[in-house]
Amino acid sequence: MKKTLTVCPYCGTGCALYLVSDGGRLIGVEPSVTHPVSRGGLCVKGWNAFAFVQHPDRLTTPLIRRNGELMPASWDEALSLVVERLRSIQQHHGHNSIMFCSSAKATNEENYLLMKLARAVFFTNNIDHCARLCHSSTVFGLAETLGSGAMTNSIACFDQADLIFVIGSNTTEQHPLIGTRILNAVRSGTKLIVADNRRIRLARHADLHLRHKNGSDVALLNAMMHVIIDEGRMNRPFIESRTENYAAFAENLLDWTPERAAAITGLQAGEIVAAARLFAEAKNAMIVFSMGITQHSHGVDNVRCCAALALLTGNLGRPGTGVNPLRGQNNVQGGCDMGALPDVFSCYQPVADPDIRRKFAHAWGVTALPDSPGLPLTHAMDAAAAGKLQGMFIMGENPLLSDPDQTHARRALENLELLVVQDIFLSETAALADVVLPAACYAEKDGTFTNTERRVQRLRKALEPPGEALADWEIICALAERAGYGGMRYSGPSQVMEEIASLSSSYGGISYDRLNQHGLQWPCPDAGHPGTPIVHVEQCTRGLGRFTPVTYRPPHEAADDEYPFVLTTGRTYFHWHTGTMTRRTHLLDREERSSFIEINPSDAGRLGVHENDIVLVASRRGEIRVAVRVTGMVIPGVVFIPFHFAEGAANALTNNVLDPESSIPEFKVCAVRIRRIV
Amino acid sequence: MKALAPEQIADFFAALTTSFDLRLPVMLPDGTRSIGTLEDGPIALQGGALASKPTAAFFPQQGIVFTAGGNVVQNNPPPGRSLLVVGFTRRDLDCLRFIDRFFADGWRDDLYYRQREHAVIAAVSGYCGPGGALLPLAGGNCDLEFIWDGSCWLVATYSESGRSIVEGISDSVTGETLLQISAASRVCVDESDTIIRQASELLRTDRVPDSFWEEIGDRCIACTGCNLVCPTCTCFGVQDWRYRDVVERSRMWDSCQLAGFMREASGHNPLGSEALRSRRRIHHKLAADPERWGEISCFLCGRCDAVCPTGIGIVAVSRKIVERFTTTKAE
Repeated sequence: MKKTLTVCPYCGTGCALYLVSDGGRLIGVEPSVTHPVSRGGLCVKGWNAFAFVQHPDRLTTPLIRRNGELMPASWDEALSLVVERLRSIQQHHGHNSIMFCSSAKATNEENYLLMKLARAVFFTNNIDHCARLCHSSTVFGLAETLGSGAMTNSIACFDQADLIFVIGSNTTEQHPLIGTRILNAVRSGTKLIVADNRRIRLARHADLHLRHKNGSDVALLNAMMHVIIDEGRMNRPFIESRTENYAAFAENLLDWTPERAAAITGLQAGEIVAAARLFAEAKNAMIVFSMGITQHSHGVDNVRCCAALALLTGNLGRPGTGVNPLRGQNNVQGGCDMGALPDVFSCYQPVADPDIRRKFAHAWGVTALPDSPGLPLTHAMDAAAAGKLQGMFIMGENPLLSDPDQTHARRALENLELLVVQDIFLSETAALADVVLPAACYAEKDGTFTNTERRVQRLRKALEPPGEALADWEIICALAERAGYGGMRYSGPSQVMEEIASLSSSYGGISYDRLNQHGLQWPCPDAGHPGTPIVHVEQCTRGLGRFTPVTYRPPHEAADDEYPFVLTTGRTYFHWHTGTMTRRTHLLDREERSSFIEINPSDAGRLGVHENDIVLVASRRGEIRVAVRVTGMVIPGVVFIPFHFAEGAANALTNNVLDPESSIPEFKVCAVRIRRIV
Repeated sequence: MKALAPEQIADFFAALTTSFDLRLPVMLPDGTRSIGTLEDGPIALQGGALASKPTAAFFPQQGIVFTAGGNVVQNNPPPGRSLLVVGFTRRDLDCLRFIDRFFADGWRDDLYYRQREHAVIAAVSGYCGPGGALLPLAGGNCDLEFIWDGSCWLVATYSESGRSIVEGISDSVTGETLLQISAASRVCVDESDTIIRQASELLRTDRVPDSFWEEIGDRCIACTGCNLVCPTCTCFGVQDWRYRDVVERSRMWDSCQLAGFMREASGHNPLGSEALRSRRRIHHKLAADPERWGEISCFLCGRCDAVCPTGIGIVAVSRKIVERFTTTKAE
């Protein structure tokens, strides 16, 4: 029997757990009792994090498509084929005819290496990952307003807030060990405002539950800030000493009366006033948000408003305050930090800056690096669908289920001359690939993940990968070698981290020997630095916090006579994204076997549908069949479908309209109609 | 009586690994104390009850039931060496006694007894609780016991296998200290004992309204930790994994806090809310098991209270029940 300390592979909370193995088999999980985040607890996914690892469906050998069938192949053949065909496509169509999709499920080291492979070996900035679909609007919005696109505070700060304002986050289901801190804080007297029109668990404990219409967050937040200014409840000393552009911002809010916002949000003006007062009266108020804020065609504007509310009331840089985007994936923060993004190297160093490019080119031993930003993931899918992108290398993502408008996504992937997928299971996307590379999962390799509070933590190998599967970092390095690049020879992930630290200031003090207990929170610029639990303490990363006036823009698609319901999508507690891991975990699969739609009882009555009836749900882009759940969880006129299930895929319906600044899709609002079929 | 100085402990246990598959309290790399092997970390007998349940040695979170292929069904091979599991507190031993009876009752669970049959059980007690607090003496229900008297580990044996393990240790102390610890253990009162009995009585006389369980259920995020760490929770699920040539059946700990635990094929769920499931969890231990087995099946090991992220472990809930629903004579 062996116990291996590692990090949970699911959400961005970053709970530590021990994998228990016996004779090369995983037999269970134990929580770390001393971990500062999980404190001896886990959620149901964490308790079951071992259970998919040795599933018989694991990929064990490379696969190459021959005569339309994916057939086993040797690593030698598969790696050569991938490099030859990527090179060939580039020769015919240019360097930017291929795209690399990195993974928020992979380690920091692997994200860094894929970024390096794309830029140094294949000379393209076409690299991105699923942060594009979840928090790209956060990264953009907070970089502009505060200078750093990550959570400003720590998870421990939830215990120190006098008020927590949760907007667009179903925290107890999606970040359970953070959600439970909120529940405990409320029991200890912390005030709670929940702005989310689903009656999530937190709403049952809230002092104020605002069930505003989908996509009306800017109106709600602008009006709250209008009230705060109108009643003189803003923090003038903070505004004067720590911010800029307040006058223009305040002027923009002049006509954002609660009454005006009430008409847009569907709330009572009094509810907005009450929320504004509660927030402004708190000594330490914390803003928490997630996909309900970010996944909109105006996601960046939503984030700007959240940041402005903190600046206006001076709730920044202290324990129990801050602007706290909860990152979804275990390593989506790290994926961004490592520069698996089209416009930046690691730690957000712009590719457009010639000095930065020179620094990386020198370190990587290449003469030049591409200078113009590459394609965001969502634009790459558009380009592929339009025949303007020919090759795609996808590591650990499943865009056929996770991207908006599945018909569009399928067209994009099928249009490619070459699709390579590196994964642990034959996902729906991998099934379309020309080459499939079998990867080790989190339990079978070493590396680091960075959680939502910027905590860089080690994951450790508990057992060998199945068959011929290799760690993602080993595959990437082997590809580089095949491509004739000798600059990616490492003894292991710790040596990759040394290189990352040498090139990335916020990770400058990160090394494996310093991460042995429970990690370090960046910024950690040097080897003596203790890490940074709270950022923007004396001043914002960008200097002064910036107020940006925001104009309200409604969602791209509204309910109408033809499509009378607003569909919002998301996750359930028991499943993870496209279900590749959780649907292969017995207990989690048993909890949620298939797709469903939540419908308000009044709508169900009008449609004549009952619990468990199968309905046809159609949008302008597609249609699916799902089972009905009649529930007051949703308000009349709004329905919810999770996106985990290939059969009944919510993303067959969603709208591939993008935020113009961050290119995040509007997953949270589209119009659908519903018809009973059984 | 026999005793081991602290500096003798490591060698003593290391010598036992030639004869036994040894599991004992160790300090894991991040300071978590758990049952492990000598390879997992330094021995950590001191510190009180462990977060993980020692009974997992016989009934792991997931284990193979059998494999089938080519017209052959293969059971799991029996263990090569007997288990020696160290670290049971007196309360853990009560739990072990309870599940031994459960797994032996009627249809005998051979998977459990294959591990349990020849296992040697060692308790830990004395002034080695958190901060040097007294862990009451077990005084039986096990094969041997290590009792910390503040300077050395007294070793008491209660069976032949216990005696054979320690026969090489010389008698070096008098039994006087043991008598003192035994006396202190007898008067060691845990308020939770009274709480849990009172809560049991209130539940059995139907004095706890549904509204209370709504309140508790609202705080349950269905992490399932309470069930998974409980030494007397014995529910399991079964799965079949189909490999190319064989089918492998395994079983894994299940949880009554999951909706799927009781959902019927029709989709109807008699325990369809967190409130009903929370009620069931407590009711089972405090009201149903006394009817079935003649005793409350919570032995106050404290693990569910420690693992629950929202403070609704069995003692916390019982305390709330007693505070709310106990009526005084004046009323």
